[in-house]
Amino acid sequence: MLPNFNYVRPSSLADAVRQLSTPNARVHAGGTDLLGCLRDGVFAADTLVSLSAIEELRGIRPSLDGGLAIGAMTTLSEVAADPRVADRYPVLSRAVAAAASPQLRNQGTIGGNICQRPRCWYYRADFHCARKGGEKCYAAEGENQFHCIFGGEVCFYVHPSDVAPALVALEALVRISGPAGARSVSAETFFVPPSKDYTRETVLGPGEIVTEVVLPAQPRGTRGSYRKVRARGAWDFALAGAAVVATLTDGRVTRARIVLSGVAPIPWRVPAAERVLVGQRLSAKSAARAAATAVEGAQPLAQNAYKVEMLRGAVEEALAALL
Amino acid sequence: MKTPELYFINEAVPDTALPQVKPEPWAATRVVGTAQPRVDGYERMSGTAVYPSDLVLPDMLHAAVLRCPHAHARVRRVDASAAAGMPGVRSVITGDAAAADLRWNYGRNVFTKLFDPHCRFEGEAVAAVAAETPQQAWDALRAISVDYEVLPFVVDERRALDVGAPALHEGGNRVGDVERYERGDVTKGFAAADKVVELEFRTAAEIHTPMELHGCVARWDGPRLTIWESTQGVYPVQQRVAGVLEMPLANVRVIGSYMGGGFGSKLQADKYNIVAAVLARLTARPVKLFLTREETFLCVGNRPPANMRLKAGARKDGTLTALEMTCTGTGGAYPAGGTSLVDWLVRDLYACPNVHTELTDVYINGGPSRPFRAPGHPQGAWALEQTIDALADAIGMDAIELRLKNVPTVSQTREGRPPYTTTGLTRCLTEGAKAFGWRDAKRHPKGDGPVKRGVGAAACLWVAGSGGPPSTVIVKLFADGSANLNMGASDIGTGTKTVMAMVVAEELGVALDKIQIENADTATTEYATASGGSKTVPTESPAVRDAALAVKRQLFDLAADELKVPASELAIDGEDVVSKKDQKVRKKIAELAGFRRRGVLVGVGTRGPNPENKVVNPFAAQFCEVEVDTRTGEVRVLRFLSAHDSGRVMNPLTFESQVIGGVTMGIGLALTEQRVFDRQTGKVVNRNWHDYKIPTAMDVPADITSLPVAPPDDEANTTGTKGLGEPVTIPTAAAVANAVHDAIGIRVTESPISPMRLVALLTEKRAGR
Repeated sequence: MLPNFNYVRPSSLADAVRQLSTPNARVHAGGTDLLGCLRDGVFAADTLVSLSAIEELRGIRPSLDGGLAIGAMTTLSEVAADPRVADRYPVLSRAVAAAASPQLRNQGTIGGNICQRPRCWYYRADFHCARKGGEKCYAAEGENQFHCIFGGEVCFYVHPSDVAPALVALEALVRISGPAGARSVSAETFFVPPSKDYTRETVLGPGEIVTEVVLPAQPRGTRGSYRKVRARGAWDFALAGAAVVATLTDGRVTRARIVLSGVAPIPWRVPAAERVLVGQRLSAKSAARAAATAVEGAQPLAQNAYKVEMLRGAVEEALAALL
Repeated sequence: MKTPELYFINEAVPDTALPQVKPEPWAATRVVGTAQPRVDGYERMSGTAVYPSDLVLPDMLHAAVLRCPHAHARVRRVDASAAAGMPGVRSVITGDAAAADLRWNYGRNVFTKLFDPHCRFEGEAVAAVAAETPQQAWDALRAISVDYEVLPFVVDERRALDVGAPALHEGGNRVGDVERYERGDVTKGFAAADKVVELEFRTAAEIHTPMELHGCVARWDGPRLTIWESTQGVYPVQQRVAGVLEMPLANVRVIGSYMGGGFGSKLQADKYNIVAAVLARLTARPVKLFLTREETFLCVGNRPPANMRLKAGARKDGTLTALEMTCTGTGGAYPAGGTSLVDWLVRDLYACPNVHTELTDVYINGGPSRPFRAPGHPQGAWALEQTIDALADAIGMDAIELRLKNVPTVSQTREGRPPYTTTGLTRCLTEGAKAFGWRDAKRHPKGDGPVKRGVGAAACLWVAGSGGPPSTVIVKLFADGSANLNMGASDIGTGTKTVMAMVVAEELGVALDKIQIENADTATTEYATASGGSKTVPTESPAVRDAALAVKRQLFDLAADELKVPASELAIDGEDVVSKKDQKVRKKIAELAGFRRRGVLVGVGTRGPNPENKVVNPFAAQFCEVEVDTRTGEVRVLRFLSAHDSGRVMNPLTFESQVIGGVTMGIGLALTEQRVFDRQTGKVVNRNWHDYKIPTAMDVPADITSLPVAPPDDEANTTGTKGLGEPVTIPTAAAVANAVHDAIGIRVTESPISPMRLVALLTEKRAGR
């Protein structure tokens, strides 16, 4: 049952930021994650500030440097259907299409997608876990088959987004507005690992809103792909996945980005695996070597050792798709 | 053993009169057997059908139940004073309330209070609130403070009998004695075998999770109580509610004309019915009480998990010599048939002289089980049908051929070894294999790359599916030629209303859109047992036919006078009564003067007995092809074929829908579904449709073929029908597992075959472990 809350629908960004400074206010974008959290009692909200009336947050437009800027309120379906995204940023277009289900993609926004709260089944239920101010992470010793093998340390959830790894792979920028004005951070630094602060998932401060995601122009010869392994064919989060982007010059890899999904509390970039590729020809062999490197250092929990091999397979297949 | 214990038919049922005549089987049919869309399809799809969960009554209150958040606890004290004073709250009841001083029978003489201080599973009812809005009710629940003594728990049935395991009941964690079955001598049987295989299996617990939630609306009118309930059977609910509240049956009316799915979890009344009735009584207002999706994962049933060891022996020529099965299961915290019928296929599917089974049912701190589409059978098929495949490999015989070598003609378990009316198993296996292209598919290369292909098959029978008395049905034919069909049975989404209307149309020539159906109302429709056990069509359709024939006889008597033709020479042709001898002698039914004076003809029909000393069981065989990504453990089901001996196909559309639904559900057991308990707290961690994964359209092949292979079973009953709704899901998971084995050589003995499990097994195999 949804608890009571006030609902405001400002028509300007400035007004939205103002409204967000009221006590215990939350941003409402598509609502596909927020309403579930409220209903499940994960957190409460006194006021929901809807961004749906702010026109400037919608749509996809060319950016000044030849890339694309995607308004935070653009739905996942709109991103998936955009021919410019499909043509120039296939990794993103595939990642978006792999998210959730058609209904959820029609409702969910790209800004909301990267601000999702953890999908950990302890966090979402009536367990007073560390992330909710409790004493411990229940997943550490509990039912952790869906939890992380990298970067857990104190909280072992996996980042739920398919979109986020693609944005990190594309070296995208996240534009933010807040009480102190606007700022931009790289997608890679937007997400906060539990080791830094296990009570939050992003760098957003009080009253701050994601306004736009900017995709830089990609060098000629850049390819991209996203591979997601899930427990069922739709409406499911990644068990393991990989967003890969590689730039090829004269048949050799000159730049590679490999970012993992479903295995860490943040989109997990594996620079060592990227280095394996650079200078090499893209082949089944080099893909396998990079995949083997990508899983190095994994620290599985009691029930998710399977993720290591699954991830290796996913990375290999993601890279193979670039051939 | 005369008949197996069917615990879903556990209430006393009244006898019904014998049918007045025994009609000949239908030779040719005009309506029955044709593809007819649902008679209520528009209402269901457009949303105009009023399901119990849609119902809104004037002055209606909304109720919610406070449930124990612990796997095992004792309630020391409940303080509801703050809740009682909250806005909109009209009543709060706890275990101390006089109105709640009622006994709830969990079966096998295990009784608890309505709100029992000893909560043996997470989700047991502790208190309830009725308020003006659902929000106010839930706010009030949060304001109730409960002091629990949290007790040690056991949620793993494999640990329930360990020394030191917390005991749920005074007598310990055994539900009863070990259930043993024996015929012949398995020791000799295994000694006579050329090959013996032995494997251990486990199927995970599944949750029914039907589209419509469990719940009801309760309203009092003086001493009379009406309950609108989402149910598979209004009469069992009436019986239970009247019993608990000590009311006359006649004063409890249960209505359930539309319902949104149950799969066995809605065959019975629930505590929430009593809670709603009590709250409605206390407030003198109608009360609506529907559970949340999360609650339905805890306390309204599940398919019990099964831990099975199976040993099978055969001679080189494929003759089975011995089968032995042991199984440990659990129906949860109360007696609920935790191992019921798990061994039935081992006992009866294949001819085998030496069989030994042992079933151990234990208590755990989990929600009580309920019948779930073919209780026990998919679990048993998972073990038996994989073992038969392994045995076929061991003796170097094709898996279909091995099955064909051992097709029984009698029910070996039942007393006197009675023959089956039909054993369609041979036809299901041979015609199914042919239509599927089994032999070619088996030879199909597995694939050079990391993605491998494989095919698998599995067979089954279903222990019930004959239907039988009692059932009473009334058909009224109005003078304008339209008709009214009155029956107590629920249409649980299978198309019961459509099929029964087709029977009326067949006998009386009435167009389907001129038949008004009243069903599932204890006050106004006739007695019927719950719709479950794949017995609704074979139970109700002969009764409907009997009622229609009773009308027809009266109609012909009237027409005989007017047409000057003996009644025995009359037939119905479209909207006319016609002489069989002279087609020109005819008259419109609506124009029969005598009929117009009478206004209506009423026919009462009943369900006659099943054939004596024979067994009516449906049989099936399923075939599938899968693709396995050996790098990631993902399994894709490419196609399915389901061959059935279920007697007459009343309506190919509803028949095929059952097949598609059953295969879909079986794919859930095979690949995606399992209840997960948190080992630290005993709480269920996957209680929503994301964490508990039922298959989506993307997990089910578009290519599912329904192949009815058998003719009408005219010995079975007067419509030649046998059950279908359960056989369609019994062999599915085993067929998938066999196909996975064919693809990659790994026998996955534990369900589900998730990518998590499969990639782990593939990794082990690669490491040579």
